[in-house]
Amino acid sequence: MKKNNLLMGGVAIALLATSAANADDKPVSGGALRWGVTTEPACFDPHYASQQAAFFVARNYIDSLIAKKTDGTFAPWLATEWSISEDGKEYTYKLREDVVFHDGEKFDAAAVKANYDFVKKPENAVTAVSLLQAYDHAEVVSPYVIKLVLSTPDSSFLESTSNVKLGLISPKSLAKGDLCGGGRALAGTGPFVFENYTRGQSAVFARNVGYNWGPGNAAHSGPAYLDRVTFRFLPEYAVRTGALTSGQVDLIEGVQPTDAPLFAEQPGFKLLTGPSGASTSFTFNINYTRPPADDVRVRRALRDGFDLEPIVKQVYLGTVPRAWSIIGPANPAYNKALVGSWGNDIAGANKLLDEAGWTGRDSEGFRTKDGKRLSIEVGYPQPYVRDNRDILIQGVQAALRKNVGLDLNLRLITAGEYAKNNANGTWAIYPNTDNPSDPARELWDMLGSKGFLYSNIPNPDQEITSQIDESLRTTDPVRKRQLTDAIQKRGVDQAFIVPLFAPSWFLAAKSNVNGLGFEAGLDSPSSAYDFWIAKK
Amino acid sequence: MWSRIISRLLTSLVVAWASVTATFLALHALPGRIQDILAGDVEYPGLREAIAAEWGLDQSLPMQYFEFLSRILRGDFGTSYVLRQPVIEVVGSQLLPTVELALTAGVLAIVIAGLIALLTAGRGRLSRELASFVELVFASTPVFWLGILLLMAFSFNLRWFPVSGAEGWSSLVLPAITLALPTAGLLTQVLREAMEKTLDQPFVTTVRSRGVGEFIIRWRHVLRHALLPAVTLGGWLIGGLLGGAVITEKVFGRPGLGTVTLGAVLTHDVPVVLTVVLLAAFIHVAASTVLDILYVLIDPRLRAQ
Repeated sequence: MKKNNLLMGGVAIALLATSAANADDKPVSGGALRWGVTTEPACFDPHYASQQAAFFVARNYIDSLIAKKTDGTFAPWLATEWSISEDGKEYTYKLREDVVFHDGEKFDAAAVKANYDFVKKPENAVTAVSLLQAYDHAEVVSPYVIKLVLSTPDSSFLESTSNVKLGLISPKSLAKGDLCGGGRALAGTGPFVFENYTRGQSAVFARNVGYNWGPGNAAHSGPAYLDRVTFRFLPEYAVRTGALTSGQVDLIEGVQPTDAPLFAEQPGFKLLTGPSGASTSFTFNINYTRPPADDVRVRRALRDGFDLEPIVKQVYLGTVPRAWSIIGPANPAYNKALVGSWGNDIAGANKLLDEAGWTGRDSEGFRTKDGKRLSIEVGYPQPYVRDNRDILIQGVQAALRKNVGLDLNLRLITAGEYAKNNANGTWAIYPNTDNPSDPARELWDMLGSKGFLYSNIPNPDQEITSQIDESLRTTDPVRKRQLTDAIQKRGVDQAFIVPLFAPSWFLAAKSNVNGLGFEAGLDSPSSAYDFWIAKK
Repeated sequence: MWSRIISRLLTSLVVAWASVTATFLALHALPGRIQDILAGDVEYPGLREAIAAEWGLDQSLPMQYFEFLSRILRGDFGTSYVLRQPVIEVVGSQLLPTVELALTAGVLAIVIAGLIALLTAGRGRLSRELASFVELVFASTPVFWLGILLLMAFSFNLRWFPVSGAEGWSSLVLPAITLALPTAGLLTQVLREAMEKTLDQPFVTTVRSRGVGEFIIRWRHVLRHALLPAVTLGGWLIGGLLGGAVITEKVFGRPGLGTVTLGAVLTHDVPVVLTVVLLAAFIHVAASTVLDILYVLIDPRLRAQ
């Protein structure tokens, strides 16, 4: 114990020393940053993009009305003040009057209205429309006051207006149509101007010199420090690592767990670990209406029939924690009461399966009932398989087979097959992390009666779906918190969901790159707005 | 000779048509609705209906087939719903970097193979076996691994060449070598064996008896004979270069068809994948046609018939 204290003291002193050293270094303007990233966005227009990896790129040229802080509250951005009406149906924003789009157009209430109406219009087929389900219309109260009117109260709406998917694009750009290819045609108000995009190679952003409207959650105000940011698309782990160590890029995202110590310990480099599970955990979503998982005893046996901790540790070398809830531990809405409340009860899991009548055994050692094997399929769409998640599932698969004789059948499927299973409600287990949004909206997405998983399933669980609907309707934050806690509890208790691990982002950089950070509203690295390069 | 060439061209047309048909059938043989397959990973209201309209999915299968054929003839390869752009624009803009890479690698492979074969065919046992060993190693090395090795040595450590991109000749060096070496390995083996066989022919002894120098014999007489089996490999060579380009581009973060194809496969952007498949088939057909015609030019015996 004593020794531990000493050690901790040493660490604390070291931390103080480094923060003191950093405080002496004043951020300096200038310099170009080359950022090696894993994924090339399929679409640069935030309204249409659907990849997590596209959003932190978009944040460099796209601003929102308000900004989400790490504690779950909001800071001013393009809107200086906002208010919500008593009935929760009218959101009024007072806008800054000095904001200009990259194409020279003035930013005002009419521009906000044009964006929201564009997203809402069915013919435009915008991906971000899912955030505007309750949105009815916008009223331009005065040139710089906009009122967004909802048809029903939506407790997730405030967060939606901070989301990059509803970021603001020049109405002139919107009218031009297809903006997926980026470039100067895609004019936002962000700290960087989209200079050009070379497919398969890079995207280049230049400092927006007149930028004076940084978000309230940023470390500074005024224009960005960097003259230029270049995203290089380097899909290979080894190549990203080599590009950084040889000085051909300054910063990389997507560091392999085995490479993490390389940057953390080597002089000249630094490693940054983002918050774990700032939005949702990586979870098994079990279709609880489909046999054999329609029996809660089977689902609980699946949930408790293995020891998750060592599997996560083995796959991710201790860089990320195991999960306890649907919502991730770094999310303010995380239900901490669930920690230690479930899992790794092999005897209990076996007892449950015996009770459920799965008492036979086949030649391969799996449990059977009436000659049928106890088998549940995990249909994992190939494009979403990333950072060794399939290997994690294989670990769970092996443990369940050995411990309780359950056949967890992992199958990598095509997007077409997934869409078909989803439309027919015939999926069995869907492994998922949700895009970041309001917690009630995330829970609705995965477990709600009209969410992406259960919209085609007749009669989903009455209790949880009504709790979710109420959590979206309520205007009382205390009640909302009670409900999101209760939903997480029921989801795990009924084993509708089996949380697996809380993913996190890793950044590695040259040690002279400063101001790196992560953005809560994106659950990813932040934009390069606060980044600066120290002069040697 | 002309009838030979014309009949060859007709055969090529039939093969091209067959490949289009096979692509169409493969699309329809996939499990799931065509709309869902073509949509890939995108999902928004109205998309399925828009696809059904664009592809005429409400019509009978033969009608859809004829529609498909006529669209390909007109050069209309549909829309990528993932990238929200016409496929022909996406693929067209990426064709040049790939052609540049494949062509450079191809020329490099042929030069390396020709040089080594000329130098080692029929020479001392040791040098032949050494060369043969090296060729075998390169022929069986995965492009992926070779690329990473070259990057480690010449980019990460020596820093002679950039790691990625397609900007100027220096960014072309490593990818081209990566792609050329395995091809050169196999090509050299074939070329040398053919040269050695030719060197045993009586006509070589005759030429030699006229007092012609060894290099001239090899360069002017033997190599020409040995070219035939090597040209036969030409179709394979082009396929290998295109296939290898996909992996090479990924490793080196280069723009090109490979990067687009890989991205399309991962996001299930089926219209792009279909177009790349068709393009690959057309290139194969065109290349093998050209090579068959080349035979006639290389081998006078075929001309005489």
